[in-house]
Amino acid sequence: MKNIYLPHVVEIVDVQEETPDVKTFKLKFRDNVVEESFDYRPGQFVELSVFGEGEAPFCFSNSPTRRNVIECSVKRMGQVTEALHEMDTGDTVGIRGPYGNGFPLEDLKGKNLLFVAGGIGLAPLRSLINYCLDNRKDYKTLTIVNGARTSKDLMYRNEYPVWEKAKDTSLHLTVDCQEENWTCMVGVVPKVLEQIKPTCGNSVAIVCGPPIMIKFTMPTLLKLGFCEDAIITTLEMKMKCGLGQCGRCNIGHLYVCKDGPVFSYSQLKDKNFQF
Amino acid sequence: MREGCVVEVGFSEPVARYLCPVTVAAVADRGRQGWVHRSTIDDINMNNRILLKRNINELLARSAEAREVYLPLEGPGGDVQFLPLQEPKELDNLNLNYDQLIIPPKNIGFPQLESLFEFKDGEINPTVPVPSRHILFGLRACDLKGILFVDDFFRKNFEDIYYRHRTEGRLTVVVGCTSPSPNCFCTSTSTGPFIEDGFDLQLVDLGERYLVEVGSENGERFIGEFEELFLDASKDEIHHSGEVKVTAAKAVTLKVDFKEAIRRLTEDDVPREIYEEIAERCIYCGGCLYVCPTCTCFNLFDDMKEGEGARFRNWDGCVFEGYTREASGYNPRRDKCSRAARRYEHKLKYDYQETGISGCVGCGRCLTSCPVNIGISNFIEQLTGLDSKQ
Repeated sequence: MKNIYLPHVVEIVDVQEETPDVKTFKLKFRDNVVEESFDYRPGQFVELSVFGEGEAPFCFSNSPTRRNVIECSVKRMGQVTEALHEMDTGDTVGIRGPYGNGFPLEDLKGKNLLFVAGGIGLAPLRSLINYCLDNRKDYKTLTIVNGARTSKDLMYRNEYPVWEKAKDTSLHLTVDCQEENWTCMVGVVPKVLEQIKPTCGNSVAIVCGPPIMIKFTMPTLLKLGFCEDAIITTLEMKMKCGLGQCGRCNIGHLYVCKDGPVFSYSQLKDKNFQF
Repeated sequence: MREGCVVEVGFSEPVARYLCPVTVAAVADRGRQGWVHRSTIDDINMNNRILLKRNINELLARSAEAREVYLPLEGPGGDVQFLPLQEPKELDNLNLNYDQLIIPPKNIGFPQLESLFEFKDGEINPTVPVPSRHILFGLRACDLKGILFVDDFFRKNFEDIYYRHRTEGRLTVVVGCTSPSPNCFCTSTSTGPFIEDGFDLQLVDLGERYLVEVGSENGERFIGEFEELFLDASKDEIHHSGEVKVTAAKAVTLKVDFKEAIRRLTEDDVPREIYEEIAERCIYCGGCLYVCPTCTCFNLFDDMKEGEGARFRNWDGCVFEGYTREASGYNPRRDKCSRAARRYEHKLKYDYQETGISGCVGCGRCLTSCPVNIGISNFIEQLTGLDSKQ
């Protein structure tokens, strides 16, 4: 019988500083057999262990199409993330998963996709964006709206030139307030969306960011003509098990870990979910 | 209807199904409706036996030679706890007439604290318990219902190896309850005072002897092992056991309209004020969760000293503020009201919607343990006493 609580050991093979408080860790399985059998979809997540500190859930930030390592972007926030930030290449951590439903890749086929990210919310979307770019013929236009508090908080900056150059793909960057030498957009994500006016026809919006951003982005998207089923988001909540057992990440009878973390806006509205 | 039918006793629907030698008149005498039979006594329970009370200690002492035997032992202060028998002398403290265990026996499969694995220098060693034959002797029906609920819980999404190993060698022996506590409402939740199925053996107190009902092959095998201690049951004794069950059901005096409560919760017919009122009174001590036979929320945490450590699982509870608080400080259930609502909704709405079985077994421990007189029975009484929006 499988012991689902038992993590596999992965080694940190690279650490990338994304922003002053976010690092991306590249992880490689010690055991080749485990690595071969480990498969995931964009939007799923893993539980990472720092032994002695505990475990916390993190989404995959790279696409399974480009995988020789697993990438997780971690914001320094609590006990486990603090400990992770202290770790370096060669250190080992525990990993178990993948968990959750992931993005509905099949349903997104043939659609224009609008990615709306705030801060570290770009992490799961980056996995999906790169997945779409690697399966380019399956998806129509890709519109990426990426916001952060300041330009220093923008994640994955070395990917931007690639995204901007990709076929039928546009990238809109925004920061909350005007900064010196900043030439892109200014203003919070919902305001920027109103300016860009992305097409809602045959489109799906995929939103990830802090609760406050999601809260104000949803009505904007509805106003732009997106229907409730065509808005999907991926949620975060405190989790321990990742498998619908420990009890904390519920929305009504649904569990973010097991039934999500990807939900449509209509699903959440049914549950009276408050961001 | 004739003698030997199975009679279900209840208000608007059957709340307990009894092997009942009494006639319909006896049931009708309770001023309630009676339901008749699925089959006759002979079909349903051909293996009734008799165990003389004076043979109980011998049975338990001999059972303990090859198994761990958990049983209700009375401490010096009069509290009864469900503990493993360490030495035969402890049988002097056996109390099968207790009204209620303070802590339900769910901890045998799901301990309050357990190690999942140990780690040292990047090596991980699981600490999965070895399955062992054990007997839970003297369970109350409600507590076995709780255990069966938790069994389902720990295999619902995946098979939990720790729970499975702690429970798979289990034999359950219910001693039907004839001395309910004032806060018990098991006849309203269809979970007692006797259990209908899911047990290995069930004992019915006939005075000097117990009628032993056999509920499984596991139970039958156990009897076979100690055949000389069991006698055949006579028709009179079976008849008598039915009467004992009816009397026992009558002794449960607290009644609530459980079905209506479930209806109102599943149809979102619960005024917010009811939760607000509970939230105001509740001191968030978590006592109700600790003593609940079906509460399963848990936490995972590490403990490490000098490079060696272990990951543990321990009980946690939905009413605690820190339970859902995220590392950022954001808490989706920060307000007390939503935490109060979560507990009732989880047990009486979502569990029911998901499995058809509610997460309340009517034991009343939440009320007994509550310093401010909140309990599920109170909640139900209050809810069903309010005007419905329907």
